[in-house]
Amino acid sequence: MRMQYDNPILSRRAAAVFALPTLVFIGVFLAFPALWAIYIGLTNLRLTGISAIQPRFVGFANFVSILRDSFFHNSLRITAQFVLGSALIGQLLLGLLLAVLLYNVKGPINDIVSSIVILAWIIPEVVVAYLWVAFLDYDFGLLNATRNLLGMPAVNWFFSHPVLSIIIFNTWRGTAFSMLLMGAALQTIPPSFLETADVIGASEWRKFRDIMLPLIRPHIITNAVLITIWTFNVFGPFLLTGGGPAFATDLVSIYTYRNAFKYFKLGYGSAISTIILAINLILASVYMKLARRGRA
Amino acid sequence: MKSSWMQRISLLAIAALLLAVSVTQAAGVTLQITANAVKGGKNTQDAEWIETVIPEFEREMKAQGQDVRVQFLPAGIQDEDYKARLALDIKGGGGPDVIAFDHFWVPEFAEAKFLMPIDNYLKAWPEWGQYFDSMKAMGSFRGKTYLIMGGTDVRMIYYNKELFKKAGIPVPWQPKDWNELLAACRIIKQKLPGVTPIQLNAGVEMGEATSMQGFYMALQATGGWIYNWDTGKWIVKSPGLLDALNLYKAIYVDEKLGDAMLQVSPKARDKSFALYQAEKIAMYIEGTWMWSSVIAPSGAWGIPDRDARIGWAAFPGSGKPGAPPIASVSGGTGWVINPNTKHPDLAFRLLAKLNSAQARIDYWLKKPGIPPRKDLADAPEVKANPFISETTKRLVPYTTYRPGSPLYPEVSYQVQLMTERVVTGQMTPEQALDAYAKAVAGIAGDANVEIAK
Repeated sequence: MRMQYDNPILSRRAAAVFALPTLVFIGVFLAFPALWAIYIGLTNLRLTGISAIQPRFVGFANFVSILRDSFFHNSLRITAQFVLGSALIGQLLLGLLLAVLLYNVKGPINDIVSSIVILAWIIPEVVVAYLWVAFLDYDFGLLNATRNLLGMPAVNWFFSHPVLSIIIFNTWRGTAFSMLLMGAALQTIPPSFLETADVIGASEWRKFRDIMLPLIRPHIITNAVLITIWTFNVFGPFLLTGGGPAFATDLVSIYTYRNAFKYFKLGYGSAISTIILAINLILASVYMKLARRGRA
Repeated sequence: MKSSWMQRISLLAIAALLLAVSVTQAAGVTLQITANAVKGGKNTQDAEWIETVIPEFEREMKAQGQDVRVQFLPAGIQDEDYKARLALDIKGGGGPDVIAFDHFWVPEFAEAKFLMPIDNYLKAWPEWGQYFDSMKAMGSFRGKTYLIMGGTDVRMIYYNKELFKKAGIPVPWQPKDWNELLAACRIIKQKLPGVTPIQLNAGVEMGEATSMQGFYMALQATGGWIYNWDTGKWIVKSPGLLDALNLYKAIYVDEKLGDAMLQVSPKARDKSFALYQAEKIAMYIEGTWMWSSVIAPSGAWGIPDRDARIGWAAFPGSGKPGAPPIASVSGGTGWVINPNTKHPDLAFRLLAKLNSAQARIDYWLKKPGIPPRKDLADAPEVKANPFISETTKRLVPYTTYRPGSPLYPEVSYQVQLMTERVVTGQMTPEQALDAYAKAVAGIAGDANVEIAK
């Protein structure tokens, strides 16, 4: 249902004038680069060589070869595992769990736990990546040093469990956001609902399933949309594995980076970006539909 | 009252700042110079040397009435990232004026007009006549010169004599063919647990170092090459290509004489140097640079008693009929001028200073390489260096260069990918070579590739 403004504060014309600077900014810094990227994707532009100064229009040739490229299929498969593992199972579930557990806990424990979780979120990405390398590295990592002390053989985590390593890294990194968002959502539940349930003698599980979950459902969906899209586009794991070993952690973002800035294929890279944009739009619209159904 | 005080003070401060900025700007010209070198890190010798050349140059310019300041922008990153940074800087209309540059990047940069041709300046530069023709060719593309070579190199096996002695292999050691090379690897694997016998670069993580120090060495040793100089076509299938891949398979897959995991680890190259320094790798196939920079006593992975502890051997031919006795590949770096420079004349004077006879000797003493010019080759210091004179004599007759094609870097990437597929066991040598042939045909066009018997 559309809201009706019978008595607008501003006239339509004044509103347009006020909105104009924003529209210009969005046009110059968002719409134009996006359209430009789509155009570049239709050329064979490179960073060096003759096609750096004389790019040719190649139509959809880039798109055809991307869709045929086994490295692209590989990166899509890995990204799907990564999103499922670190965004949905990792950040969303763990964040929800932490929020629910902390819901009834007040005082120092709550403060300490949330501080630690939030700390993981506010430390700069490069520092976090360094910490994880220092923890998981085969030769000098803390985890393997500890295993050696306990008489267990060292494991080359990035080599033997590359996808799992970056999933744990990203879960650790991003859970705080889900926890905060879910925690805030739980605060919107009127306490009387839960108190009434206590009086009836409902179990904790029933309280969660029948009271909390339905009430925060829209928030969960919003959270899922946001972190799915973020995780889909995240580049941080590059700092841990560089996309390797042997392309085992070659997320679509890293695949794009490799082609555009390591192999200098700017046209090809732009075409990949366009495909990623389309995938993101599809993901977002699926969630939007879910969210709308949830509210109905 | 209070606020007006504050206003006055801040106005004064701004005025002082503006004055300071304009004064520094008025004080002549600033030139920027960059190299992938940083004091105490990668190529530390280059960084130290540049910092001695700069004040000399500034003094000389001042004596001629030119007020020039030179700013050195160090870097200590992977070569591929350094190259990408330069391409982006120059494409964006900026970048340092004078740039340390790998000669094999010249074709693709020159084609994009990312380098300034310097032929007009060279005509008036008396020292240009000292350069060997092969070195002049390495800095030029399609008839124009863009780069002055600082030095060239050769590739060989650096072996740790102490580890060899512990394993019971007599030193000095020189394998005659691949069988003898693999035999030494097997002895080390058996006698010295925890030591990786050999490092033959593989995989895309090591970038060009995989092509140069790894695959091309193996390929040259079979008598094959990636490019047919006569027809100008890329060779995408040959018995030599397959033999070279089978050497990788023997080392990394069948007998585990090398560390396949290491090849595909992030920062694999730095890690492998650290392992070599820690005596966890017995043989390392690398260029002159390894000796004169990486493991030099002053190097980033320095070995204090390098001369006593490390020996070198020529990389042997495969031993099959028609294969050469020795294989080596050469590259090298030099200096170029950014076409975006606002002071091309001064930039060339800095370039000439960096490549003056005295500067070349000073550099050579810090980081001995194979001299690119006659006067340096004849210098008594150079002649007295046994490592340089012996490697020059033994290896230069067998060495080869990369094709100077703008497509080369893309083909080279496919070479790296091909070795990665074999050492990780993803593909057999035959499958990897098929994939390579297809990819190179896609890059160069079907008409520009050929199959050698």
